[in-house]
Amino acid sequence: MHVAGGCPQLFLKFLIAMLLWSTLGTAYGSVRSEYEVKAAFLYNFTRLITWSEPSEEGARLTICVFGRDPFGGVLQNLNGRVSQGRALELNYPASLEEIDRCQVLFVGAGKDRDLAEITDYAHARQILTISEIPDFVDEGGIIGYVKEGNVIRFEINLLSAQQAGLQINSRLLELALRVIR
Amino acid sequence: MSNHWRWQYWPLRTKLLLLTVSISTLGILLVCTSLVVVENRTYEAQLESELGVIADILTEQSAAALLFEDSQQVKTILSSLNQIETIEQVCVYNVSGDVMSALNGTGYEPCPSLDVDPAVGFVGDYYRLLEPVTLDGDIVGQFYLMSRLEVLREHIWTFIVISFSVGVGILVLLIWVASRLQRLISEPIVELSNAADRISNEHDYSIRVPVYGKDELGILGSAFNEMIGTIQQQNQKILQSKNDLERTVAERTSELSLANRELEAFSFSVSHDLRQPLRAVEGFGQALEEDCRDQLDDTGLDYLARIRAATVRMGGLIDGMLVLSRVSRQAMEVERVDLSAMLAEILEELQDTTDTVPSEVTIQPDMQVVGDERMLRIAFQNLLENAWKYTSKNEKRAIDVSACEEHNSITIALKDNGVGFDMKYVDKLFVAFNRLHTPAQFSGTGLGLATVDRVVRRHFGRVFAESPIDSGACFYVELPRPERGAESGLQQQATR
Repeated sequence: MHVAGGCPQLFLKFLIAMLLWSTLGTAYGSVRSEYEVKAAFLYNFTRLITWSEPSEEGARLTICVFGRDPFGGVLQNLNGRVSQGRALELNYPASLEEIDRCQVLFVGAGKDRDLAEITDYAHARQILTISEIPDFVDEGGIIGYVKEGNVIRFEINLLSAQQAGLQINSRLLELALRVIR
Repeated sequence: MSNHWRWQYWPLRTKLLLLTVSISTLGILLVCTSLVVVENRTYEAQLESELGVIADILTEQSAAALLFEDSQQVKTILSSLNQIETIEQVCVYNVSGDVMSALNGTGYEPCPSLDVDPAVGFVGDYYRLLEPVTLDGDIVGQFYLMSRLEVLREHIWTFIVISFSVGVGILVLLIWVASRLQRLISEPIVELSNAADRISNEHDYSIRVPVYGKDELGILGSAFNEMIGTIQQQNQKILQSKNDLERTVAERTSELSLANRELEAFSFSVSHDLRQPLRAVEGFGQALEEDCRDQLDDTGLDYLARIRAATVRMGGLIDGMLVLSRVSRQAMEVERVDLSAMLAEILEELQDTTDTVPSEVTIQPDMQVVGDERMLRIAFQNLLENAWKYTSKNEKRAIDVSACEEHNSITIALKDNGVGFDMKYVDKLFVAFNRLHTPAQFSGTGLGLATVDRVVRRHFGRVFAESPIDSGACFYVELPRPERGAESGLQQQATR
């Protein structure tokens, strides 16, 4: 206070400098774009979730993007990467019937109206549903992206996951912003 | 006093005790040291494995958080380590090597950069650990942990103190046991040594040492006892034979003195008893010659003269025997004798009583000897009389007496120009009743030189003679020098 009272101009300069530095810092911290982060999360989810249905040896893990693809080309980086010993494969089904081969289903924006139908269909086939639609987990989805300020977080609906027969690593649950049990 | 601190003066039991104690101290020291080293290793290994387990758990827990770059979650996970006080610093790095989260203990130090491999393991006062965080075999980050070792150090110090206290306790116990057990060895030796000491001091050969066991000490004890037994037997034998010898000597001595007394009594009584009838023969012979001279013819007178001459000779013989027996048994009175003066007196008597042959006698002046004056007078009277007698048929008589002093003896030589004697019979010269001349040539009893020999022998000297052909005879009397030793020897002889 004494400093502020004595030299208000100096204090202001300091404040500005701090502000500048902090924004710069965050800019440096989130060098990656929002969808790069989300794509990385998507990959990480596949590593921490276990499908109880036994898959035959060497089977691929298919990630399907249903509806509008918000990722641009970022998701292509995942193509060919390996998670839990299974190579990743991208797929873009056009209709609900085509998603049977998928293990992960990213529900794009614009599918909010059929959300219950999609999640039920997917969970019946042990498909992990992920979406950035707000309140996705409340609508019955399993993992939903949430933006908290600049930081990307996620929520988990454990009940839906259990219904779908998916096992979620407890470490993942700890990291979730909210878990519906 | 300082000598008693030297090793060689230490008693055997102290040496044995010291030996045992030093060996056990060394052993205990080695055991304690190795225990401490082993304990240090074990504790380090335990610490390493504990920290390893902690690191494993934490890496497993933080793998997901690292994946999602959730530093808040990592911090939460790491905060559980706050309970472990010894942990100085924990750093979690993401896959690209940037610090995700850090936990600092007392001191604040920035997390080390992973560009260079940090020193891991036990370095200085810290234990450092760097472990990769993996998920499905993929490295998703690094886990770095640094722990202080004060607990380890404290534990080891406590261990050292306890183990060395126990070691000292064991050592005290060992000293106690050793001080008891060393007696097994030292006591027989000490007893042996004491027994040997007592035997040498008291000459008591009946002492025996107790024998313990069949080992070398037992053998030593039995051998010692046997040795002392042998010595005891031999000592007894020696003492017995000494007693026997003394008894024999005493017997012989008494026998000898009895014989001597008998002999002396015999010669004394012979001399005395013979003198009486002889005097009667002589007396009546004289009476016969004086009173009945007319009734005897020339033949009778001749016989009578022969009888009287024989009685005179016999009287001389008896006198000689008496003198001989006297010089043999008479006690000696030893004193310094002026031999020259004595010889001069004897010579004067001779010149007064006998023939008129012109005589030239030289006596070396101031000859001194040590001995009994009366005996020496008898001896030298005999020698001078002999010289006088055997020169009586010369036209001129020459007698020379001289002395030759040597280191421890004095030799007196009496030289005459008389008839001398045949050196063939020199051995018989000093034997009683042996004569080298007939009575017709020279009168004599054959006892004179025997008496001289006896007197000189009693003075621990010797007498000998030589006679070069046609140049008279020379008699040598060798007497011990008048020294203190000889004098005391003679004195002893005299008091016997």
